[in-house]
Amino acid sequence: MAKIIVVTSGKGGVGKTTSSAAISTGLALAGHKTVVIDFDVGLRNLDLIMGCERRVVYDFVNVINKEASLKQALIKDKRTENLFILPASQTRDKDALTVDGVQAVLDELKKDFEFIICDSPAGIEQGAQMALYFADEAIVVTNPEVSSVRDSDRILGILQSKSMRAEKGEPVKEHLLLTRYNPTRVESAEMLSVADVEEILAIPLLGVIPESEAVLKASNQGQPVILDEDANAGQAYADAVKRLLGETVPHRFLEAEKKGFFKRLLGGK
Amino acid sequence: MTETCFRMKGTTLTSIVLEVIDFEPDNFEAQLSQKIASAPQFFTRSSLILHLIKPLSATEFELLVALCRRLQLQPMAVKGEVAELKPTINDLGLADVSQSKFTDSVLRSQNPSQQATASNVNSSENNGGSQAQQSSTSAANTSSDSDASPSAVTPLKAEIKPAKVINRPVRSGQQVYAEGGDLVVTASVSEGAELLADGNIHVYGTLRGRALAGVKGNTGARVFCQSLDAELISIAGQFIMHETVKGECWKKPAQVYLEEETLRIEPLA
Repeated sequence: MAKIIVVTSGKGGVGKTTSSAAISTGLALAGHKTVVIDFDVGLRNLDLIMGCERRVVYDFVNVINKEASLKQALIKDKRTENLFILPASQTRDKDALTVDGVQAVLDELKKDFEFIICDSPAGIEQGAQMALYFADEAIVVTNPEVSSVRDSDRILGILQSKSMRAEKGEPVKEHLLLTRYNPTRVESAEMLSVADVEEILAIPLLGVIPESEAVLKASNQGQPVILDEDANAGQAYADAVKRLLGETVPHRFLEAEKKGFFKRLLGGK
Repeated sequence: MTETCFRMKGTTLTSIVLEVIDFEPDNFEAQLSQKIASAPQFFTRSSLILHLIKPLSATEFELLVALCRRLQLQPMAVKGEVAELKPTINDLGLADVSQSKFTDSVLRSQNPSQQATASNVNSSENNGGSQAQQSSTSAANTSSDSDASPSAVTPLKAEIKPAKVINRPVRSGQQVYAEGGDLVVTASVSEGAELLADGNIHVYGTLRGRALAGVKGNTGARVFCQSLDAELISIAGQFIMHETVKGECWKKPAQVYLEEETLRIEPLA
């Protein structure tokens, strides 16, 4: 049975699309047939991060409106086996997404794929609600700062009240993915710690992705960062994917690298 | 030098309200004596508010008051259909409370075992009528010799609304209202979330959001929480904001209640 996972956050710019790209690539690398759908109609980005922007012919909205078949719109990833991308439309807006239309597309995808990753737009309006409505699980991407945490809290509330599972009384499985984590800044109290965020949001931690130049570099090159095996961010995403698949993997990169006499800093575990 | 001779204070008092549905002196006295005989200690010398459902003539009203006093009840105030009776009410030294706000409860379960209730009623003075109602019912229920005598009024179950219990975190943007009763949250309440209850509010987690107890004017309502970190706390319309809440009970178990129109925060040991 296919699993629908929404990657959402409420707040913009926290790393939803980067995470969607990395996680869907990770799942495909692990041998699971995966499709990642860009729900950000009008602000299409996923194709850039996945490096397939020049191959977009038909998009999600075309499929919903039956102007193209799913087969025509799906883009097969060139690097990774088992991975497909369904891009958003750049010329339409979020109202183009209808419950019936989205459901029809998802139902068709469910026949072929094991994982359907929905990359949600920012905000809590139509687009974001449509992305999370059919979700079985949710990955809530949060940065370690107060406004992002509050928006994540808000989106968790919406998951509990406005998703199809919530309407049926079945909970959506929630995962916390903390991105742009900088242990040095946490130690100097410029950033919230993992524990702070976990305490406020009270959902299980899927992974902590360290702040890394590799992420920006990967985005600009159109290559999911998980493929950069030397980067700690790539490794952290790989760990998160393993956890998503049920493995128990210890969390890494939670502490600053201690250098010489900076060790005097308290708070080390 | 003059010492202070007195202090003015406000108080809330639990009292019996005698609803006068139909006043026909002989019949009324017979029924009332029978009722009092069912729990003499409870009724004797208890203060009484007369609630006139129908207008009475001055003579009838005088008779009614005399009758109550003869039966060892102490009428202290009158409400209801009092328009024509104002001079008589004055002459008799009673208070006209027809303009005051009331939250009456139904006091129906009567049987001899209730003598224990008198003290219960006194101890629950601050908690409004519903508490008296609860204690009398529990006394009635626990007594094994409640023979449900058909002679007096058949004991009825007190109309207690069950508390609304929420077992998951209340997220930012969510609002929960417990109409007509208490609200219990067994998890944390996020910033930007709002709890409303006609009764008390209990939070067995961190209260970071807003909590408004006694929203329909129940001044006896209280807010209890495991960790006090609230944005706003209100009881019966009186409220305090975050800055005021930040005191000795900050992030500690605490209760908040209304005392003389001021909200008091007290630690829970």
